[in-house]
Amino acid sequence: MTSWCLGVPDIVMSPDADHPHESNAAVIFDPLPFRGLTVRNRLFRSNISGMFDEYDGHGGPTRLNWEEKFARGGVGGIITSFTPVSVRGRILTRYAMIDDDDKIPFWRAVSERVHRYDCKILMQLSHSGRQQDLGGVENLHRKAQSSTSKRDYFHGILCEAMTGPEVRAVVQQFAQGARRAREAGLDGVELHGANGYLITQFLSSGINDREDEYGGGWEARARFVLEIVRAIRAEVGPDFHLQMKINGEDHNDWLYPWQGRGNSLDETLKICRLLLDDGRGVDAFHVSSGATFPHPRNPPGDLPMRELARWYDGMLSQGTRAGFNHAVFSNRLTAAAFRAYWRWRRGNVIEGINLPYARAVTEAVRAVDPTVRVICTGGFQHADAIAGAIRAGDCDAVSIARPLIANNDLPQILAHANGPERECTYCNKCLVNDLENPLGCYEVSRYPGASFEDRHAAMIAEVMSVFRPPAFRDGPGGFGAPVAAAPPAGGGRAAPDMPDEADVSKEQAVASDGVRP
Amino acid sequence: MSRDPLTPVEAAIRRRRRCVWLVLALLLGGLIYWLVAVNQYVIAHEAEEEHFLHGSIGAETANGLPVWAFRALPVIYADRMGGEGWRHFGLIYEQEDDPLPIGFSSRVVTGVERVWFNCSLCHVGTYRLPGQAEQQRIPGAPSNNLRLHELIAFLIRVGRDPGFTPDRLMEGIAGAGGDLSWPERLVYRHIVHPRLRDALAWVGERLDFIHRQQDWGPGRVDTFNPYKAIQFNFPMDEAHLAAAALDGASDYPAIWQQRPREGMNLHWDGNNDSVAERNLSAALGAGVTPVTVDRPAIARIERWMRDLPAPRWPGPVEGLRAAEGAGLYAAHCASCHGMGRDARAVLRDFPPPAGVTAAEKARVLAAAEAAWPSSCRPQGEGNPIPVFPEEAAYRTDAPVEGAARPSAPTGLADQATAPMDEPAPATYSRPASLPGAEGVAYDYDRGRYPCLGEVVALSAIGTDPGRWASYTREFAAAQNLLYAGKPWRFHRFRKTQGYASQPLDGIWARSPYLHNGSVPTLRDLMEPPALRPRLWQRGSDELDLARVGYRSDAAAPGRLFPYDTTRPGNSNAGHEYGTRLTPAQKDALVEYMKTL
Repeated sequence: MTSWCLGVPDIVMSPDADHPHESNAAVIFDPLPFRGLTVRNRLFRSNISGMFDEYDGHGGPTRLNWEEKFARGGVGGIITSFTPVSVRGRILTRYAMIDDDDKIPFWRAVSERVHRYDCKILMQLSHSGRQQDLGGVENLHRKAQSSTSKRDYFHGILCEAMTGPEVRAVVQQFAQGARRAREAGLDGVELHGANGYLITQFLSSGINDREDEYGGGWEARARFVLEIVRAIRAEVGPDFHLQMKINGEDHNDWLYPWQGRGNSLDETLKICRLLLDDGRGVDAFHVSSGATFPHPRNPPGDLPMRELARWYDGMLSQGTRAGFNHAVFSNRLTAAAFRAYWRWRRGNVIEGINLPYARAVTEAVRAVDPTVRVICTGGFQHADAIAGAIRAGDCDAVSIARPLIANNDLPQILAHANGPERECTYCNKCLVNDLENPLGCYEVSRYPGASFEDRHAAMIAEVMSVFRPPAFRDGPGGFGAPVAAAPPAGGGRAAPDMPDEADVSKEQAVASDGVRP
Repeated sequence: MSRDPLTPVEAAIRRRRRCVWLVLALLLGGLIYWLVAVNQYVIAHEAEEEHFLHGSIGAETANGLPVWAFRALPVIYADRMGGEGWRHFGLIYEQEDDPLPIGFSSRVVTGVERVWFNCSLCHVGTYRLPGQAEQQRIPGAPSNNLRLHELIAFLIRVGRDPGFTPDRLMEGIAGAGGDLSWPERLVYRHIVHPRLRDALAWVGERLDFIHRQQDWGPGRVDTFNPYKAIQFNFPMDEAHLAAAALDGASDYPAIWQQRPREGMNLHWDGNNDSVAERNLSAALGAGVTPVTVDRPAIARIERWMRDLPAPRWPGPVEGLRAAEGAGLYAAHCASCHGMGRDARAVLRDFPPPAGVTAAEKARVLAAAEAAWPSSCRPQGEGNPIPVFPEEAAYRTDAPVEGAARPSAPTGLADQATAPMDEPAPATYSRPASLPGAEGVAYDYDRGRYPCLGEVVALSAIGTDPGRWASYTREFAAAQNLLYAGKPWRFHRFRKTQGYASQPLDGIWARSPYLHNGSVPTLRDLMEPPALRPRLWQRGSDELDLARVGYRSDAAAPGRLFPYDTTRPGNSNAGHEYGTRLTPAQKDALVEYMKTL
């Protein structure tokens, strides 16, 4: 049912009649073997986090709570949020980085925390390039690095084209990031090659205007990421899981039609085959779309204009067009026009929006190497949609972000139901609030309560649950003693193959004797 | 203030902001430039007559005097202007303390208010009744007082006067009460003065030939020789301007009732039959240029004068004698000049004294009726009206189908003949009412009066040839190039063979008579040339109620100008129609012409 006027996009609600839920659950909870890694189900927590960490890129205890929420909720694997390989590659401040060996202990703690739930964790190695929303004071007097010197057309973030030595230095930063991830005990790494970040800025024909060996045809544009893949393999060997997040198509002209469209699906498929590198390259692809972030196609959904007017102001110092954008978002008329434009550019499909691309990538890479897996992202939160995609061979697994923020225990729900009772509305309020507030679900209407105040209080409690347990507490543990894990958020129900909660609590109690790593 | 460098984003935003400010400043500068240097400002007058008297037609833009220079000149040259200021040149003021005389308008051009001529300079006449000091103005009548020759000569002398220095100009401005701001003083001292001196010097150079001419005297103008010099740079030295064409001064014309004049041969020599084209040409004479002309302002005047009524004779009329004159007029004058009331209407409107018997009236009416030539009889009395293709459109009645307008002889689109804002009517409407405050009924029917508006050969009319000779084929050709590229481009100017006969509506207010104003009164015009005044005085505006015209004797009030009919261009010969009538008949004819 289309509820366009209410701002709720189309959602496939009806179960697939050909396949009873038990069959769908069997597909979803079927373990997924990669070449060097097996994940216990087909559900990945996609790469999201909030500004929970230390300003200088060290991780913080809240991040542990954050990742644990989803591990406890039953996802088979977690892809860490955007993890910068250098300070210059930061998108937002207070996101844990992997730019130095001193970050390894934190990530080791994350890895250990997640592994307790039989959940794998992959580090998303990233570099913002010119899409550096809040670069922090360290980057205040620097232009962002990019493949081009043309400023980002959405926020007007300034950048300069990287020199050859700079390119090679960044390649090594990725390689070192992968090495650190492996040393921290993570199960693999993912290159963020989608959604407009640095690797996309090299890959995309709509952005890359270089005239050196890193610009021109698709092979030249892919040279940068291929060098990264090879450098990582040289650093971590052939067995460490390496996957690549990539746009099916760039849709780089979504905002201004005079911008180049960017890579076509055909170019993407060629790049994917190239990155297999005769079996020495990537083990899997994570398919998304959209050459900016955010983009009408990613995360696909609505655009909360009032929240944008409230929380976009932090961007004013970051880009030359941010002031104009904020003015557009703050005016009711222009905001309504922009929202309508955003939704029109997105299209009608939300759940599974990238499946056509995933299908094409799957067919292309399987033809070369049947062991390569494909993960698809894009609004998944129903068992029939997920299982249907996997059953059809469109992809091997799905990655989920917002529906998991809304229902941290979504895997447990999908184990016995087609979807959650309180679904993610794809309102994208989580996305916009993340600029200034703790990441969580900010859709008040989803929360129980007789009045707005009640629902709002419930929402705040849920959003703030990420800070529990607090890092420090009074009591026998003394300074720095971690407290026991908080009850799972989202009212989760235990899935059949979930580890026993009591066991996990016992493990946490044991670990709580010492200072957090 | 922090000395830390800006962030790249801040620097970019600052650069962009500076660009925006620069653009805004350029736009603002452009707007100010447009408002000050490009756009022009005039005073809008609500009443049509006020617009005629004081409205700008665009002459100030190219030729105007800066207003404070205009006010300073009478102070600087008080001796040469006889202490009268601009009145010395016959300019008249509507109110005693008006800033500008009639015939001058102001327009702010490039931030400086400038003043110069408009149409009323040459077309506002005055008269006084005998024994009365009060001057009456007649908008649309010939400017009988204007001494334009003297005015031009004065301006030329100013341009050549080494004593006309910036200091003198500034002293003159101060003496005239000008309390200028310091920027204005700078402008007047350093920009206005040198430009004014240069412009007057240029005028002096172009119009130097006027010193070879006879003084035009009051109420006269040499229309075309200055036109040749100013508009076309014709060489005007003795080798190029023949003596015969040098003195072409003639009276200013009246400009009322232009609608029925459409299609008649206009100007004294009938060199153009388009009222609109004639008007635009006259505006050029007043100082506009094809670039600066304010056509809407002229169009407004054109609308006003199209139906402007001729003035009514202010004195008494002897009805019986005038009725008798009506017949004589019909017999001797109407075929070339049109006709006013017939005898019956004269008796109705100017009833004779009670002592006059009905028999006497009947006798006069019968005589008048008998005197009418058949061609002038009103339609419907068994008298078919001759139809001429070009005249049919202007006949009072029975317009020829499809003959709305005469076609242009050159084959061009006939736009120049059209009034500026509305198509010309296929016929004019004969005034419905007979004399009243609004004017005098007059019959301009060129079907009934076949010679009306036609050119009478010089050999036939016999009047002074100076004005005719001053208008040459070369000049007509040059005129027909004016406004090239515009729909209103001139194309109807032509050289004729003589002088055009004109309607005599309001003839009493058009003294003196003949094209060159060489005959002071209508009664004098009834005499053979040899008996007409040879040396007489122009310049008085007191009416001679008996002879009809301004007084011309040496005792007449006003500043007088001796008019010598023996001088070149001043001949009072020709137009001997009616000169063989008896004195009584001549008196009757003049009495009748009071009613026109």
